[in-house]
Amino acid sequence: MAKSIETLEKSIKDVPKAKKPESKKNWFSWGLLAPVLFFFILMSVLPTIWMFGLAFYDYTLTSANKPKLIGFKNFFDFLANQQLAGSVSRTFIFLLCAIILQTFLGILIGVLFWKNDKMPGRRIALTLFFTPMVVTPIATSLFWKFILDPTLGVINYFVSVLGFERFDTLTDRTLAFPTLVFVDTWMWTPFMTLMTLAALGSVPKAELEAARIDRLPLIRLIKTVIWPHAKFILGLGILLRTIDAFKTMDLAYVLTGGGPGDRTELIAVSLYRFAFKSFKLGYSSAVSVFLLFIAIALTAIYLYILNARKKAEE
Amino acid sequence: MAETTFKAKRKPGPIRFATLGAWGISLLFFLPVAWIISTAFKPKESIVVSPPVFFFKPTFNNITEALSFDNTLDYFIHSIVYSFGSVTIAILVSYLAAYSFSRYKPAGTDFLMFLLLSTRFVPAAAFVVPYFQLFNLLKLKDSYIGLIAFYTMFSIPFSVWILKGFLDGISQRYDETGLVYGASRWHIMFKVILPQVKPGLVASFVFNILFVWNEFLFNFQLGGAKTFGVPVGLFTGSTKGGAIDWAYVASIGTLYVLPLVVVIYAFQKYLLVGLTFGTVRGEV
Repeated sequence: MAKSIETLEKSIKDVPKAKKPESKKNWFSWGLLAPVLFFFILMSVLPTIWMFGLAFYDYTLTSANKPKLIGFKNFFDFLANQQLAGSVSRTFIFLLCAIILQTFLGILIGVLFWKNDKMPGRRIALTLFFTPMVVTPIATSLFWKFILDPTLGVINYFVSVLGFERFDTLTDRTLAFPTLVFVDTWMWTPFMTLMTLAALGSVPKAELEAARIDRLPLIRLIKTVIWPHAKFILGLGILLRTIDAFKTMDLAYVLTGGGPGDRTELIAVSLYRFAFKSFKLGYSSAVSVFLLFIAIALTAIYLYILNARKKAEE
Repeated sequence: MAETTFKAKRKPGPIRFATLGAWGISLLFFLPVAWIISTAFKPKESIVVSPPVFFFKPTFNNITEALSFDNTLDYFIHSIVYSFGSVTIAILVSYLAAYSFSRYKPAGTDFLMFLLLSTRFVPAAAFVVPYFQLFNLLKLKDSYIGLIAFYTMFSIPFSVWILKGFLDGISQRYDETGLVYGASRWHIMFKVILPQVKPGLVASFVFNILFVWNEFLFNFQLGGAKTFGVPVGLFTGSTKGGAIDWAYVASIGTLYVLPLVVVIYAFQKYLLVGLTFGTVRGEV
């Protein structure tokens, strides 16, 4: 009996597979991918390889010396660089402050709008509220520069009316960093609100209704009904903000230029300065490689949460 | 009718208060932008004065003056050309790729999707050097071809992610039925399936335009006088001659922001999917 099954299996294996349509399908599926792969290789893979290559060279545009292969020296230099370590840790402090504030405010405002799903003019109110996050950071920082200006700015006008000394937040050593966090919070709190609304929207209506009928206390409602559904989207929101805050460059560059001193010098700003102010292309590429790996790690975490959500829903 | 009576019965007290709060917060967040818009309509002499002017006779002088500068209009034209050009190409090629990912799942689909997404998560400043050199080498600097190629890749990850999401939601039965009836693959892709993912196409079109429209660093480094867009124009135009020309910033800023406000109003339901690069869909 066992033997006959074995032979049967073998004979099934020996049957030539219907290969032709399979390979034709394969050809077609890759053909459809070809244009995207073309752009991907030309405009993503090639520059990445180029960047990896540059990172091993001593290459400064302004120096007369020819680019020289120096192995891992750029990486060691970069790891030993105190100033850069400073901007990395500053970026993390910035990230932490900005994201905690934005998440907290975002959730509060999100719940407010969620509770008010029938308020008059909700769509217009949300439009006004969401505007800060779609304005390009260049415009945002210029706008705030105008508003915070020590002599012309409208905020300082009110400060002086209230009888206080006018202050220049953007060049003040202690105030510059909090101001950057503040402007970033103004820009991105709406995003966390948007994510909160989406997270709350992902809770099935039936479960909410059941909880309402059972008169579930608020804390248990959040813990047992809302949180299990909402945590994924909220997590994705926080992670996206992390990624974005870590990329912050235009905002800080125009608003404070990294100053005063290095008080608001975030990692992306340093990087830009290395490349386009001191033209150390090799060195800046080494830093870029480091940032690339951070970005890939963050993407992996992001997809992990996304998949966890998919699994939980099934 | 029944519904209206029911509505009227609802307690107006706390809801009113919350509504007021929500409106108040919205206005508070919009206030800085509103201040810039109002500045654009102020008479020139009352923009850079020490107690700020709150009441004034609106005038279009600043805006017409800003537009009369040599390259202001050019910035807008450049922005429109490269953003619409690249996003159109990106959506076309992304649809093909997303269809392939969704229907045939070629080996490495997940990995490719992962790589595509990660390209959008790298700080722009990290990549600008290799692009800068590559563009110099290939003589693509300050050319539409170069910028459009770059922005096409810039728009592809989001488009692929969002279109794959929508395509996965459409039953394969449509494809199978089409095949049984002898329709060609192209007919199925473009005549049967494409109309069903319209929301995905709209969302990726609108938001990629928005992202490309807002992009600064690459346009600044890879472009030139012939291809600089609005953000670069704002940046360089604002610092002409040392001091910042606030009338110019406010006028161009206003012309720049108003279309964005209209876009958010019109496409609010796509905002979520747009800002999460097509990875999250849901209601707001």
